[in-house]
Amino acid sequence: MRVSLEWLKTMVHVPENPDELVAELVRTGTEVEAVETAGQALDHVVTGYITACERHPNADKLHVCTVDVGAAEPLSIVCGAPNVAAGEHVVVALEGAVLPGDVKIKRSKLRGVVSEGMNCSERELGLGDDHAGIMVLPEDAPIGVPAAQYLGIADTVIDCEITPNRPDCLSMTGFATEVSADFDEGTHIELPSVKREEGPNAAELVDVAIDAPELCSRYVARVVRGVKIGPSPAWLARRVQAAGTRAINNVVDVTNYVMYLTGQPLHAFDLGKLRDRDGKRSIVVRAAREGETITTLDGAERTLEAGMAVITDGGDVPVALAGVMGGLDSEIDEGTVDVLLESACFAPGSISHTSRDLDLMSESSVRFERGVDASRCAAVADMAAALFEECCGATVCPGAVDVYPRPVEEAKVVLRPDRVRAFIGADIPTDFMATRLSRLGCTVSEGENGTLEVLCPTNRPDLTREADLAEEVCRLWGMDRIEATIPAAKDHTGGLTEDQGRAEAIGRILRACGLSETINYNFAERGDLERLGREDVGLGIPVRILNPLTADQAEMRRTMIPGLLRSVAYNLDHGVRNVTLYEQGRVLLGSAEAAQPKEPARVAGVLSGAWHDQTWYAKARELDFFDAKGIVDELVHELRIERVHYVPASPDRYGWLLPGRSAEVRAGKRRIGWVGDVHPQALERFGIAQPVVAFELDQEALLELAHRELPFKDIPQLPGVEVDLALVVSEDVTYETCVQRLGSAGGRLLDRIELFDVYRDPERVGEGKKSMAFHLTFRDPKRTLTADEVDAVMDKLVRKVQGSLGAEVRG
Amino acid sequence: MGVMEDLKAISEEAQSKVATADSLAALDAVRVAVLGKKGSLTRILRSMGSLSPEERPLVGKRANEVRSAVEAAIDGRKTQLADAELQRRISADAVDVTMPGRAPHVGTQHLISQIVEEMEQVFCGMGYDVIDGPYVETTYYNFDALNAPADHPSRSPRDTFYVADPTHPDPEREDRAVSDLLLRTQTSPVQVHAMEAGKPPIYMISPGRVFRPDTADANHLPQFTQIEGLAIDEGLTFGDLKGTLDHFTRAIFGKDRATRYRPHFFPFTEPSAEVDVSCGVCGGEGCRFCKGTGWLEILGCGMVDPNVLEMSGIDPERYSGFAFGIGAERVAALRYDLPDLRMLMAGDMRFLAQF
Repeated sequence: MRVSLEWLKTMVHVPENPDELVAELVRTGTEVEAVETAGQALDHVVTGYITACERHPNADKLHVCTVDVGAAEPLSIVCGAPNVAAGEHVVVALEGAVLPGDVKIKRSKLRGVVSEGMNCSERELGLGDDHAGIMVLPEDAPIGVPAAQYLGIADTVIDCEITPNRPDCLSMTGFATEVSADFDEGTHIELPSVKREEGPNAAELVDVAIDAPELCSRYVARVVRGVKIGPSPAWLARRVQAAGTRAINNVVDVTNYVMYLTGQPLHAFDLGKLRDRDGKRSIVVRAAREGETITTLDGAERTLEAGMAVITDGGDVPVALAGVMGGLDSEIDEGTVDVLLESACFAPGSISHTSRDLDLMSESSVRFERGVDASRCAAVADMAAALFEECCGATVCPGAVDVYPRPVEEAKVVLRPDRVRAFIGADIPTDFMATRLSRLGCTVSEGENGTLEVLCPTNRPDLTREADLAEEVCRLWGMDRIEATIPAAKDHTGGLTEDQGRAEAIGRILRACGLSETINYNFAERGDLERLGREDVGLGIPVRILNPLTADQAEMRRTMIPGLLRSVAYNLDHGVRNVTLYEQGRVLLGSAEAAQPKEPARVAGVLSGAWHDQTWYAKARELDFFDAKGIVDELVHELRIERVHYVPASPDRYGWLLPGRSAEVRAGKRRIGWVGDVHPQALERFGIAQPVVAFELDQEALLELAHRELPFKDIPQLPGVEVDLALVVSEDVTYETCVQRLGSAGGRLLDRIELFDVYRDPERVGEGKKSMAFHLTFRDPKRTLTADEVDAVMDKLVRKVQGSLGAEVRG
Repeated sequence: MGVMEDLKAISEEAQSKVATADSLAALDAVRVAVLGKKGSLTRILRSMGSLSPEERPLVGKRANEVRSAVEAAIDGRKTQLADAELQRRISADAVDVTMPGRAPHVGTQHLISQIVEEMEQVFCGMGYDVIDGPYVETTYYNFDALNAPADHPSRSPRDTFYVADPTHPDPEREDRAVSDLLLRTQTSPVQVHAMEAGKPPIYMISPGRVFRPDTADANHLPQFTQIEGLAIDEGLTFGDLKGTLDHFTRAIFGKDRATRYRPHFFPFTEPSAEVDVSCGVCGGEGCRFCKGTGWLEILGCGMVDPNVLEMSGIDPERYSGFAFGIGAERVAALRYDLPDLRMLMAGDMRFLAQF
């Protein structure tokens, strides 16, 4: 909403300094987006007096004027206007002026004669369309006064953002009322009224029918005849322009002016263009038919949908898109004589949909969307008629056709000042509440038990309850004046739950392991699973977005891996070769049985490249399966999850992983995730040319299986005996099997088994075989073992593992 | 030459050899040569029996003196040599301390998670719970229960991602992108669930991802992170809202920052306000960063609308409450003057490593 201060000042007292007004508006809840000084374009433009005017020596149509502009010396100005003459008071653009249209005025020579400025026409000053000649001022015009000041066009326009709950502030009267409450000042608003009515009654000329009462709650039609279409008077054009609309002609400008004044959008139909049935016109408000079309004022043909409101003249074809824009066929033009004026109230929801669906926003639609005060349609129509009479030379037909089936009523609210004070937390006097609510247009009277009875004005649909009035009191009192206090909650404690704490711990552990956290979109590209090479077994059906912005965000992710792989690709594409990332987030798993999907949390990571490039102390080492597995190990260890083990990932189930370098992670029998090298074919489809090892774990399973504590194991007091043992076994014998067999063969004295070397050599170890070397620690917690005892146990152990593992033992 | 002269010669020679011994081995050789089993002094002590009884005590005394002196000289020299050896090792082990240290591999936390955890800590300290809810919500929880009018623009497919309802396959609805299911556009639905589930007092925040159909650009992301809070109790006032948010603002932005409450409008609260924090760059004087105003808009808040309480089964005559919401990405952008929010979503190691 653009508010002209010159206009506002006619209605309410405002501070001289616009900054003070702006500060008060902001303080009370009206956001100010910009402050413009209108009339700035007329800097260096002054009033002048032509003392002499002679023919130009070298050009027939030019004159050379001597112009007094109040300076020491008169100026010499070359002028081509036909109406220029000595003795005229004119408007002069001096050197340095920049006129509308970016016309810069410089000292120049015209056909050999120096011109030190320009005598201006209305159009050159941006004041109107008249370009027939220069603007001639009355004889009493002063000389050498800034033109903006003399013409009264110096103005400041405040551009305000009006929140959707305040349709009243989309009008000058409403805005003035708000300002009057902000400053606790009275308003003095003068509204135009019709001076003379004559001719047939409007009801004899027009029928109005509302066929769709859900779309239109009131329709008032007035008729004025004999308008003389022409430019608006300067004051009218200026106000309309200050409000942000181009001045068009007096009829159109009047409807716009009254809309800005009252907030009630109006529409003027050319009565002569409406269908004539025995000298009578019809107005019908009905719902649009799916697919019907209308060409709106802007020349665009619009295809309508059911639920939009249209106006017809009783015929088949709409003549206006109700509340949004008029039709081209009934437009006011140069030839318009009689006008049918519409002042109506259309349903906000319908207008809002229409405006959005057609991508057509107008000053009118904006106001109807927010809500127009139906109780004032008739009064507003009268004001417009009065201005047609005053500014367009129209004759106003008596009466109006007014269809208003269910009049709106003022809301009556009981306000308990004590409750308001308690709710806001400030000792606001009851008097303050009563006074300021009255300033806002409420009727306030004393009720029972110290309450106030408040009748709320119908242009404030946001005021219907005590809480609504408390808000008004709060903002007018000033939020900054309310003392800040911190509540003390009784019977309540807060803090993170154990699971929330653990979820954060998971992040800390992974960071300590060297991974950096990233956040990806929860969106997925259709086909991400196929790209990965993953079946959707166990992943439900995708959650599909009905109105996606882009194809790569058409559904919700079911695995974290594609997002992380894209991050790897992004880094590689940007020259970053070492990528070590983790993410904690949700996947969304839909099902045909439930409307809402499951949203389990996952923790996933990717490792590619090395921890670091070569340094002075270490060569770069490519990250591999065991780096990722080590991180998973560390994570489950820190969470104190028991019985975690790794099973080779079957290619059937884990198609996106490299067989032989990937594993399913289990805790007992429960699958809790996987870890492994991503299949090179999958990597290729994500544009990645170097190995990536990844893991994805079910965060909920981790949280369920985590323990706060596990039993403490006492630290051994007695020394153990360490023996090294190398087993040469077939390649298909796993480490896990070796450890199991060693453990059972070693009996209770075998305390620790540590793998310290794996060695392969076809000649020395044998084809298809590997040597695994272990440190074995024997210990009895109660006594020191003798060498003989250990030897005996070792003999037995070696015999057993030779048998159970088919191992050759090297001591 | 008498024995006493021999002792003198032994002593002098030993002293001289100890003094010139340049290693522990050379020193030990001196010890063996003098004090060893076949050492010169030992030999004299062994030959004591051949001396006259008058000489014996004198020579014995003298021999012991010589032995003590030699032993002391050897010990002294040994310390000297050990010190020298230590000094040599120390200088040999000196390093260029300006060379880079061996870097441990420690990852970093994402900027947004840092901010969320920081805010959680502030509110946990004030006795708040942290609660999250589903991303896929119903229109009831995302809009209706929050007092959003049925025709509110925020419900349009331009402002909300709608999601297909697999239990309600209806091609026509899909064409119009109409569904009762959506990706939550705010975390307020979590608060409605909390109000339905529990009786006041309720003190909670709901941090989490939210979704809106804004094409990703420097200032927008279609998925971002909101932290919304709700307090419902007997006797909560607008002053309590201010006190809580003032504390929060200073905890997050710094002790010396001022706040400003501007009345605003949100369907969920009444009265509603936008909160500005004084600009950290210019201290409120006005600069390019705050567009000359001295203030930066950071959050929206207000007293919970009685309709919202009622819809969730809470008696607005008995209880009152306040709510607020802040965007983590906005805080991140303000703190670091980030030129482009998309950096937060790219997973660029060079970006992540900075925080």
